Amino acid sequence: MIGPSIKIKGEVTGDEDLVIQGKVEGTIELSDHEVSVGQSGQVFADIKAKVIKIDGEVTGDIAGNEKVVISKSGNVRGNIVAPRVTLEDGAIFKGSIDMDPGDNSSGKLSLTSQQPANSPTPDIKSPGLDLKSG
Amino acid sequence: MLSKRPSSEPITQQSKLLPSLFEHIDEDQRLTVFHVGLALPETVDFFSRYRCKLHFVDLFAELPIVSNEENNPSLGQQFGDLLRFSPGTRFDICLFWDLFNFLDSDAITAFLKELRPYLHTGCLAHGFSVHNLKSTQSDQLYGIREIDTLRLRARPAALPAYAPHNQGRLKTLLSGFTFERSVLLPDSRLELLLRAKA
Repeated sequence: MIGPSIKIKGEVTGDEDLVIQGKVEGTIELSDHEVSVGQSGQVFADIKAKVIKIDGEVTGDIAGNEKVVISKSGNVRGNIVAPRVTLEDGAIFKGSIDMDPGDNSSGKLSLTSQQPANSPTPDIKSPGLDLKSG
Repeated sequence: MLSKRPSSEPITQQSKLLPSLFEHIDEDQRLTVFHVGLALPETVDFFSRYRCKLHFVDLFAELPIVSNEENNPSLGQQFGDLLRFSPGTRFDICLFWDLFNFLDSDAITAFLKELRPYLHTGCLAHGFSVHNLKSTQSDQLYGIREIDTLRLRARPAALPAYAPHNQGRLKTLLSGFTFERSVLLPDSRLELLLRAKA
């Protein structure tokens, strides 16, 4: 868990589930695990994980191998790629949702470089997330 | 037909034209959808049954969209910034809802000019206009609950710039679309089904 007072800049990877209550800038890749952004969490990063649950704030693109859930307190600006996406009542979302990632030739989800039409580009310089791996 | 409701609770509204958007869609077809307005849970849930990509652009949050030479960029520039889709994006379905009741003639023209490159030929679109210019302003958020049922929620505040166009004027402004069908609703509004021209 990344606690409420913790701030991280850079690349977050690992082999276990992650709960973020603090601030993360950069990239987060936990392809076989769950990432939860808690109510106090602030993420300015692309996220790739098996399951992604957002109760806090995310600016960046999101790829969920299984599903993405934005809860009623969640606020997301970015593009989502996942076979299943759930928006709870009260959730705020700006961007695009691609629920058909299956035609990707690699068989894996990938984040596109598409701009969400009415959301600003995140002020994040991605340090080269390799989305072909997995 | 509106269901009875407490004032702030969502209501459902039957739609005769919404099913036409989907009647020629087969299960394997990949859909690209342009939705004007906030993403609502029921809309995302509804489209999860399709292979699709949804683009949500809340143009209502940008109202009033006007150009005055001194302070604002041109309408084309404003819509160009708002409709910044990736190259190759082609929409099969557009959900305009009641956007055209809140844009003046110049803004509608500029909006459609920017949108046009992203439309498939034959792209179908749904929207609302008015039968009578005295029709009262409707401040709703639109979601799709079922293929023939909308879910409407009252907006927290009234939208600015309500200035509906009569149907003849709107047909002229939407010259890139044919008006396939329109249905008169009880509140003197019109439900529209449009198809992009080649």
